[in-house]
Amino acid sequence: MKRLRQFPTLHIDTNETRSLKYRGKSLQGFAGDTVATALYANGIRIFSRSLKYHRPRGLYNLDGESSNTCMEVDGVPNVRTENTLLKDGMVVKAQNVKGSVDHDLMAFIDKLDWLMPAGFYYKTMHKPAAVWPVAMKAIRKAAGVGTISADYKVKGRYDEIFLTADVCVIGGGAAGMMAALTAAESGVRVIVLESRPHLGGCWDYRTGAYKENKPLFARARELAGQVENTSNIRVFKQTSMVGAYNNNLITAFQVGKSNDAFTERYVEIRSKSVVVATGCIERPLIFENNERPGVMQVACAHRLARSYGLLPGEAAVFSIGHDLGLEAALDLFDLGLKIRCVADIREDGHDAGLLAALAERKIPVLKGWVAAKAHGCKQVTKVTLATLDGTVKRHIPCDLLVASAGHTPVNGPLILAQTNIAYDNHSGFFLPKKLPEKMFSAGWMTGRSHPQAIEASGQVAGLKALAAIGVTDKTAVFAAEKEAAALPGIDRGCKLVTAPVKGRKSFICFDEDTTIKNIKQAIDMGFDVPELIKRFTSAGTGPGQGGIPGHNLPLFVSKYTASASKPMPTAVRPPLVPTLLATYAGAHHHMFKRTPLHASQKKGGGIFRNIGVWQRARYFSSDFDCKDEILNVRNNVGLLDSSTLGKFRIFGPDALKALQRLYVSDMSKLKQGRIKYSAMCNDDGCVIDDGIVIKRGDNDYYVTTSSGRAGNTVEWFRYHTRYDGWQYHMVNLTDAMGVINISGPNARKVLKKIADADISNNAFPFAGYREFTVKNTIPVRAMRLGFVGELSFELHVPSSYMQSVWDMLMAAGAEFNIKNFGLEAQNVLRMEKGHIILGQESEQRTNLLDLGLGFLWDRKKTAAKTVGAVALRQAENDPGRFKLVGIRMQDDARAPRDGALIVDTHVRGYVATARKSFTTGEAVGMALVESQLSKPGSRLEIYEDECNEIRLQARVVPMPFYDPDGQRMKM
Amino acid sequence: MTDIQRYSPVTFESSVKESEVRDNWKIVLAYQNEGPGPWLVDLGHKTRWDLQDSQIDDPSQSGLSVPSSPGTCFLAEKKLINRMNRTQTAIWHLGIEETIIPDFNGFTDVTESTVFLALFGPDAFHVAEKLTALDLMDPARTTPFLLQGPLCHVPCQIVILERHADMSGGFIMTCSRGYADSMVQAVLDSGREFGLRPAGETRFADWVRKVQNQTSN
Repeated sequence: MKRLRQFPTLHIDTNETRSLKYRGKSLQGFAGDTVATALYANGIRIFSRSLKYHRPRGLYNLDGESSNTCMEVDGVPNVRTENTLLKDGMVVKAQNVKGSVDHDLMAFIDKLDWLMPAGFYYKTMHKPAAVWPVAMKAIRKAAGVGTISADYKVKGRYDEIFLTADVCVIGGGAAGMMAALTAAESGVRVIVLESRPHLGGCWDYRTGAYKENKPLFARARELAGQVENTSNIRVFKQTSMVGAYNNNLITAFQVGKSNDAFTERYVEIRSKSVVVATGCIERPLIFENNERPGVMQVACAHRLARSYGLLPGEAAVFSIGHDLGLEAALDLFDLGLKIRCVADIREDGHDAGLLAALAERKIPVLKGWVAAKAHGCKQVTKVTLATLDGTVKRHIPCDLLVASAGHTPVNGPLILAQTNIAYDNHSGFFLPKKLPEKMFSAGWMTGRSHPQAIEASGQVAGLKALAAIGVTDKTAVFAAEKEAAALPGIDRGCKLVTAPVKGRKSFICFDEDTTIKNIKQAIDMGFDVPELIKRFTSAGTGPGQGGIPGHNLPLFVSKYTASASKPMPTAVRPPLVPTLLATYAGAHHHMFKRTPLHASQKKGGGIFRNIGVWQRARYFSSDFDCKDEILNVRNNVGLLDSSTLGKFRIFGPDALKALQRLYVSDMSKLKQGRIKYSAMCNDDGCVIDDGIVIKRGDNDYYVTTSSGRAGNTVEWFRYHTRYDGWQYHMVNLTDAMGVINISGPNARKVLKKIADADISNNAFPFAGYREFTVKNTIPVRAMRLGFVGELSFELHVPSSYMQSVWDMLMAAGAEFNIKNFGLEAQNVLRMEKGHIILGQESEQRTNLLDLGLGFLWDRKKTAAKTVGAVALRQAENDPGRFKLVGIRMQDDARAPRDGALIVDTHVRGYVATARKSFTTGEAVGMALVESQLSKPGSRLEIYEDECNEIRLQARVVPMPFYDPDGQRMKM
Repeated sequence: MTDIQRYSPVTFESSVKESEVRDNWKIVLAYQNEGPGPWLVDLGHKTRWDLQDSQIDDPSQSGLSVPSSPGTCFLAEKKLINRMNRTQTAIWHLGIEETIIPDFNGFTDVTESTVFLALFGPDAFHVAEKLTALDLMDPARTTPFLLQGPLCHVPCQIVILERHADMSGGFIMTCSRGYADSMVQAVLDSGREFGLRPAGETRFADWVRKVQNQTSN
């Protein structure tokens, strides 16, 4: 197909070709083409088959308002090819087709429409119920808009950007550009979002006069140049707004150009004020076969020629209801299109100049006429025109029917921002009754179409946006409004929705194959509200987001029901324009914390798991039972990286009061050089954290918390002391100090080699705390603890020195067969010792007493009201609570899974942790059970997922399972 | 025998051109091919203090004058003092001189607590807007100023030292040390399209000197 060239309005570069593959053939397009325009240039007229009836569908508009041109591009289905720029080497396929798009074997369904009235799937196939699964599969196979493989991995690079603006303008047409320029004059930060690859809106291709000797497209380019050269305006093209939220948070997505670093990116804008200038789209004209390939909207035909150099057909009939239709007919005639006739719905109100120009070119204009039917199986071959009352008809052969009832504002952005919209009888538009705070509309969407009036409305909106944020006063707004008021106002709009037809094949929604007949059926069944009719008939629920039926549906419902109230538009929801989930995911950086030893642990064979915000080494071999790691700690010595523990400095004159409030123990008894293990409860007495408290000086403490609670600790302290006005301060040192646990009977021998201090049992006894240096350089805070039940030292080391200390310990311990051990080995070791891990042996309802930690609670301290103490007093005498008990399995070869249920006829508890103990040779664990089952010797039945009703048997046994006298920790 | 060495949580893959050892830190002064900017510099070895006191506005207590309102900062003598809230201030030493923590109980050395990075040069704020919704270009604020909020969803302290309409300039930021790998990867990934590369301490020192001169002028 020959291209028209040398236009100033063209957006293609005919010097740069692009190829695509379609149906095994290599086709050529040009840089600037969309996939659809390139296909159109190569003679393709049928782009897809419709969802339900498999009717042929062609190019209807160029802004993705319907699924007509949705195709599979490079393996991605449902790509809106009419606004997807062509890239070299694209592979394009038709979708929802059996056979070929020209000869679809499923096309016979179109004849069976009588079997599928509105809501047929709600009413049929329920009886017998067995039919439904079979029918559902068949329906899903026959209907659809493209499929994707379940393991498809999206290609490309997806990104995100977060912007802040004083004024955000949605829509880069004339009004939007004027608003942006006006706002930018004051120096504020302005952002313009434009969904097309270029600014200009509908002026971009129009040759009508802006002023004498200046066509509209020239003015559009002039404004675009100014906008793009204004330093405080940022323009985002190919960027579609998708959401509007509270406080003017606008979301959008941008499609990348070939030289951009992203394929698509999510855009989030926090703007102080917003101007919506999204213009209008055409309101489809409804008649029989109104979606047949060869039927297209006015702007589509006009833009094909002016922007892409393609004459949309050879011989055309126009059926329109506005002056833009006359303007397009005139221009396309001058470009070489034969115009058989222009049928204008309007009897009067035409632009006299346009009528004269048409007459001059001998193009017949039929006033009060409309297209009633498009003929032709796969492509328009003839049009039936009728008078509005349908009494007189004419048949005109043609290959192109340019049809449009009128225009409708793109007020999706306003609706998303919760604007109250009402129907305006004069313009036939849905217009805002009251705009949200700091949001303003401008341009054609306000009902004005005169060029100067559009620009003036943009100027007013720009000034209002500035006034709303206090940058200018209202005087400037009033003056601009006064000037705008002198210009032509809101146009009278065409109200016609359908031609005088029955509507069996008159489609109100292309995406869902919904006809006027379907709407009538729904109304006849009692649905009288557009929102309900939309749901019952699916009209407007397709990928076009109601672009095609959005305006016509409420108008038709109002007319057919002869409703006294005004038509109400149906709701739209984000995303306003469909995009990929990958775009929403954005760059998706994985943000995890790693300990200072991460790299060396990995090198040492560590197998990592994500645990909360941290990545931690859980195993050090493929033996996930960790036998060697466990036995090495029991018999030799092991090293564990425990750096994730929460660590805090608490200091100030009232620090002790805060500790007394939060911890259940009496912290006034704390002595320097000793550690205190204690717990924190919530107001219900449930344990929320445990750890060590150390007094390092007067009013100066160092505390540890569990890894999972570290992020909440400061807030937890502040919350529970919020009314007291106490003077104390907290510093989170969690990341400042790494922690190494050296555990096992040889731990002291190893540490002694590098510590600059006497660490003998006398000098540094169990539960002691010491500060010393390593190699006279590295400061270490050391604690004698016994979490794993062996002689252990917990070394808190400045993070930057962690690797050095670890390496020294490994070197010093080589002769004792020192090895890493991971979290799982620690888990088993401490379980053998009966030591709990919060979250493992407890859940939200588990209190201090349930866990057997009541000994930590000092009932007598009076200095501060202990959080949880009141609830604990009540729980002390409550017999109905769970108790933590030790269990031993009947079969020592089979430990139950963590979380397995303890049952009889009811659930009686659950297994917290259970493992095969390599130390004792028994399968043991800890469980939370109802108190009547907690006595030693009680038999327990354990139910696991997928156990086929074969339950495991266990008995309650005393804890700990290992070294009950605690001698090994105190060596 | 294991050498005693302090390790930064940040590692860059670039080849080191020049480095020196200071207080057991191996500090990279310059990398090969640092490019025309923007640059990302690891400042993990620079001393940071936390000061908390209910009388924080009274310099006679701590010996330090702090900015009067939260979010404001002082930059003087290669020391950045950032008022965080009613009772807390962060002190970041940007020079190479040895520092001794004052003998006042309110100070805590938090050098080891955080990742400490500088991102500066052309397009620095283009990189930033891919990472955070915080308004680093807020015209209502005068540099240097402090923002506390998420960058890549991680709570950060960010001090904007210099900025221009063309999105050049730069900022210094801290977040929990454990996030170092993830944060650096995210920042470098976001900055790739703008040519973001690691740079050494010398380039950072030159930039701070320039910023400080501009401030004093």
